[in-house]
Amino acid sequence: MGETTVVESGSMGRIAYARIAPNEDLVHGVEKLCLVEGFRNAFVRGALGSLVDGCLGTVDGKYVQVKGPAVEIVSLAGEVRSQDDGSLRASLTGVIADPEGNVYGGPFVAGSNVICMTFEVTLEEWLPASAS
Amino acid sequence: MPRELTSKLVRARTLIHPGAFNPVRIHSKRAPSARHIRLLLQPGISLFDGLVKPLAALGVKNASTTILGGVFESLEYCVAPPDPTSKAIVAYSAPIAAGRSYMVFGNATLGKDADGDPLVHCHAAICTEDGKTKGGHILTRCAIVGAQPISVLVTSLDGIELRVVFDPETNIPLIQPLEESSHG
Repeated sequence: MGETTVVESGSMGRIAYARIAPNEDLVHGVEKLCLVEGFRNAFVRGALGSLVDGCLGTVDGKYVQVKGPAVEIVSLAGEVRSQDDGSLRASLTGVIADPEGNVYGGPFVAGSNVICMTFEVTLEEWLPASAS
Repeated sequence: MPRELTSKLVRARTLIHPGAFNPVRIHSKRAPSARHIRLLLQPGISLFDGLVKPLAALGVKNASTTILGGVFESLEYCVAPPDPTSKAIVAYSAPIAAGRSYMVFGNATLGKDADGDPLVHCHAAICTEDGKTKGGHILTRCAIVGAQPISVLVTSLDGIELRVVFDPETNIPLIQPLEESSHG
C-alpha cells in the first residue's frame, strides 16, 4: 500500500511480545520481529530497554550521538509498515536517557542504536481494511 | 559530555558480554489478539500497587502498559552506568530521589519475578522536583501517585507469560516471554 493514503481504516490483529538480545540494532530488530511473527504492518504498544549508545536524527539532517553504556530507552512510539518494494520499514521515535539521566528525543536512526542489555517490545499487528 | 552533534554517522559499537553468545537473538511469543484496558492509577498508592492489584482482579498477569502522564507525589529512579564489579556490562545505580515529579510518558511491563510474584519493569521520562527533565528506570514500589489519578493504557498479553529468568549471556536476570503455564 502506498504511503500517499491519508486515511487508512483497519483493525488490530495479533499481538507479539519479544525480548531482543544485546548487540542487535533496535530498528532492524523490530523489523525482524515482524518477520519472525509474520506481521506486515504493526504498531508499537510498549517498549523499554537499553542501548550501548544512542543515535537520534535531527530536523536538519544531523545526528545526536549519546554516549553510553547504557543509554536507557524511556519513551518509544512507532510503527512498522510494508513498503511498495516488498520490504518492511520500522519508524521509531522516542526519548533516551544517558548514564546521568539526561534526556534526548528524536527518531531512532536505523543501524545506529545497538541494544545494550535487553529490549522489550510489544507489537500489535495492524490489518488495513484495503489489504487482501 | 555524553552528547555530541555530528554530520556523519558514528560507527555503532559491539560490546562483549560476560557470558556465551546465544545464537537466538529475538525471543518472541505471539497471541491471537490483545485485550485493551484503560486503568486509572489511584492517588496515594504506589505505581506498582496501582497497576498490579486492579489488573490481577481482571485476571491480567502479563501486560504491556503505557502511562499517559501525571504527577507522582514522590518518585525514585535509577540510571545504568558501567558495572563497577564487572559482573555485567552495566548495573543499576543507587536510587536517585526525584521528589515530587511529573511523569511525561512511561512504559511499564507487568510480568512475574523469578519466584512467580508480580513484577513491574518501568522506564519513563520525568520532570523532577528541581525542575530538570530526566529519564531512567523507575522504582515502581516507591513511586506514589499524586492527588489526581493517572491514566494507563493496558495491552493485556493473554496467552503469553513474562517471567524473569537468569540470562547467562548478560549475566543478569531479565524478563523473557514464555508459553503461559498453569502453575505460578
